[in-house]
This record gives sequence, C-alpha cells and structure tokens, in this order.
Amino acid sequence: MKPKLPIHCPSCAETLNVSQLTCSHCQTGISGNYALPVLLQLTEEEQQFILAFFLSSGSLKEMATQMGNSYPTVRNKLDDMIEKVKALNAK
Amino acid sequence: MKIKLLLNPFEKYTESQLLTVGSLAMFVGSVLAYVFGARFDGAIDVHFSEYVRIYQPFFDNLFNILCLSFALWIAGKYINDKTRMIDILVTVMVARVPFYFIPLFNINNFISDITDSLLNNEAALRAGSFPDISMFDLAVLLVFAVISIAFFLWFVILLYSGFKTATNSKTATHKLYFALAIVCAEIVTKIILVYSR
Repeated sequence: MKPKLPIHCPSCAETLNVSQLTCSHCQTGISGNYALPVLLQLTEEEQQFILAFFLSSGSLKEMATQMGNSYPTVRNKLDDMIEKVKALNAK
Repeated sequence: MKIKLLLNPFEKYTESQLLTVGSLAMFVGSVLAYVFGARFDGAIDVHFSEYVRIYQPFFDNLFNILCLSFALWIAGKYINDKTRMIDILVTVMVARVPFYFIPLFNINNFISDITDSLLNNEAALRAGSFPDISMFDLAVLLVFAVISIAFFLWFVILLYSGFKTATNSKTATHKLYFALAIVCAEIVTKIILVYSR
C-alpha cells in the first residue's frame, strides 16, 4: 500500500513543509526547511488530473472520453485548477 | 444516479449525443404539438390552439431554440469567454424536452375543451363572477396545472444545469444574467411568434 503524502497540518490545517529527506540507498539524511512544490500542494485527484492532461498531450477532448465526462466539465475542472495553482503561486 | 442524469445529463454526455437527443425530441415534440393542437408560442410557453398548421410547431421550436440559445450564449460569453455556442445550443434543445410532454394532455382536445368552456362563459365573466365549472373539470385543471408546473421546473433545472456546465458559472450575479437572458428571449419570441400568426 502506497502511503499518501500529507499536505496540510492535522492540528492547524496550514500547509506542511518538508524538513527531512532520506536517501533510500545509503540512508543519508538531509534536514532543512523546504516548501512543498506547488504541484505537490494539490490533492491526489488533482495531481492525477494534471498527469492525465499531460499524457493526453493537452487534449481535453481525449481526457473527456477517458474520464467519461463531457468536454465542458473537463474544461471547467482544468480552469478551476488553474485558478487554484495561480492562488498557490501567489502565496 | 438516474435521477441525477435526468436533471443534469450535461456532465456526462458529449455534445453530439445531446444534439442527437435534442433534435429527435424537437421533431417528436413538434409532431405531437401538431397532432394534439399545441403551439410553443414563446421561449418558455406552450398553449393549446384549435387550428395548428403542420409547419407551425416546427417553426416555433426552431425559433425558440435559436433565440434562447443566442440570449444565453451572450450571457455565457460575458461570464466566461470560453463558452461555446454548441454547449449552449444542446443545453436549450435538451432542456425543452419536458415541454414536449405537455401536448399529450390535450388528447382529443381534453384540456382545451375545458378551458374553452370557461372562456366562453361570457355572461359570468362580464359580471365578474366565477363561471360555472364542474368539480371534475376543476380537478382536471388543477392536476394539469400542477403537472405543467412540475415540467416547467424540470425545464428550468435542466437549462440551469447545462448553462452552469457550459459557462462554469458560480456566483449569484451569474444566475441573474441567466434569468435576464431567459426573460429577453421570452419577450423577443413572444412578440415575433404572436405577430407571425
């Protein structure tokens, strides 16, 4: 089972930062305070949507067929995510 | 799930599927209107008429669809520049499906006979009193009114669902534009269809 990467603090709901990274090969640990990249601040569903958009070469029509939704529904979802990413970038 | 599809098919089905359903419904609705004596004499109107020529319901529906689509497209473009005319057109075509059931209530001039008897009771109407009507006729009119309102609500729900999907509208102001577009379309279609009789 692949564990989900938490994005928000369970105590105060603020965005989490990365404080430690570990090399799975030699066990080297790196500490610091790194902000999560914008793409990782999205929900898993939104990340999957962006990945699907990328893999369909940006064709919303193809994505609509794959997702079983209509073209305007998929377009609206993309527009909403664009607004969300812009808001995250502005922070 | 099926109720959701009846109220909002626009999220799932493609524009070509909706166009097919809307076109078929328009054709069948026009035939039913001719057979049972109904006119779609406004963007959100259905009335029964004694003499209906075969081309009239087809023209009514086509004109109403184009007029309402244009009005909603203008509103949609103002809300979201990416609004496509095809999405608005299929929304209007599919939303009008509930209206096409209304002529069925006038089989054998059932409803229009009752309303005509009310209107022809001139003496009572001139005196300002309520015309004589049997309990059965009153009950029929009440049931018909309730069912008609239900179909009208279904039309509005379908129309708004499709408009919302086509334009990604969110705010109360967008709903106001939606309502204004319907009012404008109703005024224009009513004037033109009445004068074209």
